[in-house]
Amino acid sequence: MYGWIWRHLPGPVAVRLLQALVLFLGVVALLFFVIFPWLEPLLPIDQGGTTG
Amino acid sequence: MSTGGRHGLPDDQDPGSDDAGVPDGPGDPGSPGELGSAGEPGYPDEPGSPDEHGVAGAPAGGGDPLSGLWDGERPSGRPVSGPPPRSRRRHAEADATSGGGAATGAAGSAAARPPRDPVRTTVRGLGQLLITAGVVVLLFVVYEVWVTNLFGEQKQAQATAALDRLWASENDVVTAPDQAVVTRPGGGTVVVTAPGQDDPHRQRHYDTTEGAGFAKMYIPSFGADFVLTVIEGTQQADLYAGPGHYEGTQYPGEPGNFSLAGHRVNKGAPFDDLGLLHSCDAIVVETVDDWYVYRVLPMQEETATWATTQHPHCAGVRVQTGQYAGVYGRKITSPDDFPVVLPVPGVNNTVVPANAESLITLTTCHPKFSDRQRMIIHGILVKTYPKKAGFLPPQLQETT
Repeated sequence: MYGWIWRHLPGPVAVRLLQALVLFLGVVALLFFVIFPWLEPLLPIDQGGTTG
Repeated sequence: MSTGGRHGLPDDQDPGSDDAGVPDGPGDPGSPGELGSAGEPGYPDEPGSPDEHGVAGAPAGGGDPLSGLWDGERPSGRPVSGPPPRSRRRHAEADATSGGGAATGAAGSAAARPPRDPVRTTVRGLGQLLITAGVVVLLFVVYEVWVTNLFGEQKQAQATAALDRLWASENDVVTAPDQAVVTRPGGGTVVVTAPGQDDPHRQRHYDTTEGAGFAKMYIPSFGADFVLTVIEGTQQADLYAGPGHYEGTQYPGEPGNFSLAGHRVNKGAPFDDLGLLHSCDAIVVETVDDWYVYRVLPMQEETATWATTQHPHCAGVRVQTGQYAGVYGRKITSPDDFPVVLPVPGVNNTVVPANAESLITLTTCHPKFSDRQRMIIHGILVKTYPKKAGFLPPQLQETT
């Protein structure tokens, strides 16, 4: 998977590294701002108060 | 370069590819060393590859030329020391021209791609999947502990801005709380100063909306700037925005129990520092037209010496007796101990008794990062001030 991506990035190594970094940050942003906020309420890890 | 056609037939090429590929592997990444020591012209393909990169700059063909190099070796079935003549020639050219280190590295890593073998591909894919899953889980921890704080602080700021707007609009309509405009029977109006503004049992005359702020809470011992907008409700979305008021419990200043829940480690973590509260620390609550000063009750370990010890700021704070016996400043309890937020903490009855005190109760997770227990803070109302322009309760200065 990662090898395939690396082989399909154009340009020399420095440019590829930059692209890989941008790709990685994009995935992280997607997780942080879309996927995790959606996922979080579905997980039983968010109990704040006391419940009777 | 055009030998990619063989590319799609891994099965019948397996033996050949293994022979050609595996022994070549070590030489590929370490090509500079190989070049220097062996000096055989054209052993690795790498130096020639930059040219191929240049040609293959088009995204579609990015991978194929390099695969082609491998494919070119396979059909020959040649032993390790026999790279194709094509490579030899190109290596010589590259040697003469550049042979730069970076270019060598680039081609080396690309050329180090193992031959296609279903088992190998599957295992490698599985490994990458597992590593990826591990990284995602770690990122989720980062999100929970750190990123949700950013979101929580943002929601708290929005709730505070909304409450400020609400209060500003109400202050435009309502006259000053200690004055009233009275229409006399004979005509005309007169402004009278309303007596009894210190009555702590006044009726609440503001409405609350679940999810919206209705009060502000100051804890001066946490710093002069420690102020939180209190949200109505304790649903997940409410607690994300700030400390939430348990619906059904009393409101600020009312006899009974004004009970709040708050996160301790994420989502803005409003109750992060409840473990640092001491007895008699002020918890000041501001509503649309009043200030309520609560103080944390004596801790259980202080009860024996409470009467004989001098405590600053402790006027009106006593060890509780009677129906409130056993209610201390801090309690660690289980998450299902709901009666701590009821009018008489610990008594499972939602009816406010006639002689009830006015308490405040803060609940949060305990220990930090755990859902196993709850930390409960109880405080008692000691002072009430009506809000006036330019007036701030002196207890807000108790920052030490």
